[in-house]
Amino acid sequence: MALSLSSFLVPISLLLVSGGYCATVTYDFDVGWVHANPDEAFNRPTIGINGQWPIPPIVATKGDRIVVNVKNSLSNESTSLHFHGLYQNGSTHMDGPPSVTQCGIAPGSSFTYNFTVDQPGTYWYHSHSRGQYPDGLRGPLIIHDPDSPHKDLYDEEIVLTFSDWYHDLMDGLLAGFISIANPSGAEPVPNAALVNDTQNLTVSITPGKTYLFRMVNMGAFAAQYVWFEHHTMQIVEVDGIYTEPTDADMIYMTAAQRYSVLITAKNTSDANFAFVGSMDQDLFDVIPDGLNPNVTGWLVYDNGKDKPAPQEVDAFEPFDDFTLVPVDKEEAYSHVDHTVQLDLKMDNLNDGANYAFFNDVTYVAPKVPTLYTALSTGANATDPAIYGSNTNQFVLGANEVVEIVLNNNDPGKHPFHLHGHAFQVVSRSDEEAGSYDASNAPELPATPMRRDTILVRPNGNVVLRFRADNPGIWLFHCHIEWHVASGLIATLIENPLGLQDQLAGKIPQNHLDACKTSNEPTEGNAAGNTVDLLDLTGEYKSPGELPAGFTARGIVALVFSCIAAFLGMAVISWYGIQPVKAKTG
Amino acid sequence: MPNVFAVPVFFICFRECLETSIIVSVLLAFLKQTLGPEHDAVLRKKLVRQVWFGIALGIFICLCIGAGIIGTFYTAGQRVFERAEWIWEGVFALVASIIITLMGAALLRVNKMQDKWRSKIAKAMEANDLSLKTNGKIKRWAERYAMFLLPFITVLREGVEAILFIAGVGVGLPAKSFPLAVICGLIAGVAVGYLIYKGGNSASLQIFLIISTCFLYLVAAGLFSKGVWDLEQNAWVKLAGEGAAEAGAGPGSYDIRKSVWHVNCCSPLENGDGGWGVFNSLFGWQNSATYGSVISYNLYWLVVIIGFLLAAYQERTGHWPLQRPKASAQEVPSEITSEHETDTEKKKHEGVTSSEVREVPA
Repeated sequence: MALSLSSFLVPISLLLVSGGYCATVTYDFDVGWVHANPDEAFNRPTIGINGQWPIPPIVATKGDRIVVNVKNSLSNESTSLHFHGLYQNGSTHMDGPPSVTQCGIAPGSSFTYNFTVDQPGTYWYHSHSRGQYPDGLRGPLIIHDPDSPHKDLYDEEIVLTFSDWYHDLMDGLLAGFISIANPSGAEPVPNAALVNDTQNLTVSITPGKTYLFRMVNMGAFAAQYVWFEHHTMQIVEVDGIYTEPTDADMIYMTAAQRYSVLITAKNTSDANFAFVGSMDQDLFDVIPDGLNPNVTGWLVYDNGKDKPAPQEVDAFEPFDDFTLVPVDKEEAYSHVDHTVQLDLKMDNLNDGANYAFFNDVTYVAPKVPTLYTALSTGANATDPAIYGSNTNQFVLGANEVVEIVLNNNDPGKHPFHLHGHAFQVVSRSDEEAGSYDASNAPELPATPMRRDTILVRPNGNVVLRFRADNPGIWLFHCHIEWHVASGLIATLIENPLGLQDQLAGKIPQNHLDACKTSNEPTEGNAAGNTVDLLDLTGEYKSPGELPAGFTARGIVALVFSCIAAFLGMAVISWYGIQPVKAKTG
Repeated sequence: MPNVFAVPVFFICFRECLETSIIVSVLLAFLKQTLGPEHDAVLRKKLVRQVWFGIALGIFICLCIGAGIIGTFYTAGQRVFERAEWIWEGVFALVASIIITLMGAALLRVNKMQDKWRSKIAKAMEANDLSLKTNGKIKRWAERYAMFLLPFITVLREGVEAILFIAGVGVGLPAKSFPLAVICGLIAGVAVGYLIYKGGNSASLQIFLIISTCFLYLVAAGLFSKGVWDLEQNAWVKLAGEGAAEAGAGPGSYDIRKSVWHVNCCSPLENGDGGWGVFNSLFGWQNSATYGSVISYNLYWLVVIIGFLLAAYQERTGHWPLQRPKASAQEVPSEITSEHETDTEKKKHEGVTSSEVREVPA
């Protein structure tokens, strides 16, 4: 009794100590279908919250507890919410990805996310269920910071979300994407670009003031070039990490990246100025006729004046985020304990569809959410084998310095995102540089930029480092939603024994109920086997590899064809050699 | 190599040219025989000149027609073909294969071919003889220049036939792959024709003809299989669109559901893989074989084998299997039966025609 009482009292006392700063912010989200037409071109079913779309931002202050009660009223799809960029220290079970840290929230059921945020910055939240967020279930998540190093530099803040937009539902697009009819894996091209889930946005500006623009790319696929005509951006934050203020005329924001920039208004209101988000068309396989890759908004100084059409730009020359320096000047980890090498490729499997691979393995979600496997397998949780054969799993030891070497053996650009951490970007190659070669690498930056989503260039590489000080199950994946569906995911199992200490037996009942509702096991290895943890019989697997050249079938066919040809020629020769009743003249 | 030498085109030229050579040689032999040295040398020379003139004019007109067809195809027609390239290639490959198959066997029976033409010439002469009674200047002219008209018309016929076949086989082949194949085919055809004329049907010649016939059927089998493959590829390209084209010879360039084997190299379509295109033209090689292409290839040979066995049976017994022998066989007005006229009949024809020729006024 005394024990339980004290454990009950500790959090309360903590609450009291931190005093008035700590609040609990509660959101009740009823997720359901609405109709929306943000580009005024096509009215489509869209996933809204509480009957509304665009969905509300989640806003809190550093140190707050956030509680999100989700009710799934979609009726035809299960759902989930991931809070992109939040480290979820001690609460990996609130991270969101189904089959990783929870079971999907079945239609009709409810689920509660409950965690504290100790990190200020610009984030976003979105469904992590298969291909779902581009249907509308994504919005900004802003954590304010009373102690921001930049708080004296601006007067007001404005959130700008950028996004691509499809007219078709993801369900149908995904079926066509991972299909024998799409052997090259050409991603569906968006129909429009949006800013704040609309187009031709106007932002009222007061002359002389300085604004903090918190910009989020919450698109499914397209990176966007962003620029403000005749205004310079000063980057002060990327992905929740404060940076030394750095000027930029144009930034390149991949899907899932965030930038906070300071923009100082002109002192006169003589004119209004356009700002543009322009989708990177290099990503698109075939650019459809009539696609407008741009979305325009205006900084409006004077409502009575024109809103000029944006000027054409000669070339896209965006700022290179690699050069940014974090305010905290955290030094590059010089010693690496654990290197995780990931070689990316795209290839076809024997169902004829195109898949994405890390080290020749395409991700397929396990039967048991990986977190529940880690929590239910005792000392065996450190054995990577129990997590399945298609999860690209890596078990990281406590407080190891981990280095991810990502070699992009694909001619496409990929924005990679790590759950649970911001990583140091210690090296990033130009395109066509090939695989990373440590012995031939440029000198590491002293205080490397950190962020949680990084662009890797076509056939290039990137090297990321972080300390494994956050026990949890963290996905590392491409944030192009198509590539998530085609399996470009790795699972990092960070300090599983420490994780058991934190969470074993503490998974909330409504999380376990979610699995019960959808009939998913919550114990055992990836295949749900609780007895022999190395027996993966019945696990979910990817389609097989393409047959390599001549299989038995091919050899038989070839031999038969040869025999047929020789037999045929033998008969012809036999016929030809026969004496003819000659009548030669 | 397939870019500069279209093997099927070569064989068609060879075959048609050989047939023409045989006709010419039959005609010349005929003149030699009937207007031997004891006869009027001037008249013979004149008639021989007529034969050559007829041949030359026939060839010339054929060349004009061929040039015209090729010209139209590579200007106006190209776009139509490009739009449904695989369908055209497939259909023409199948048609070409069937044509080669039907006419190929005749190479093994060159003496039959000679007989056929001998009797045709004889019949033509006879017809001229009969039509004399109906009179008219044209008839008289035709009769007078029979030795010109016969080779002229046969060359024209064979030539136009060849052009149509080549057009069929050649769809989808680059224009530059034609000339060399055509020239080689013509030279080979003339050469073999000359050998036949000079040496008769010698054993080594027969072996040569057997080998070329075997090749001819290999090509036809490959074409047949390729035709089916092309039609399947058409369906695949329709389904997979851009992706199929982008894939080159790699994954995605073929329909895995229909695949029997696939190697990511050695594609006859890839320019870099040079030699495989030759294998494709000669044997119908595909780096990506389908059930359709393999089964059609084997089926083709099965049909050919059965066909030759039947023909051999018919030659031996004089009737087809399951057919009542002799009496009914005679009634079948097929070429083969006509070729099996008895020697006495043949001599009769020759006798008639040669007497007619002698009466042609100088």
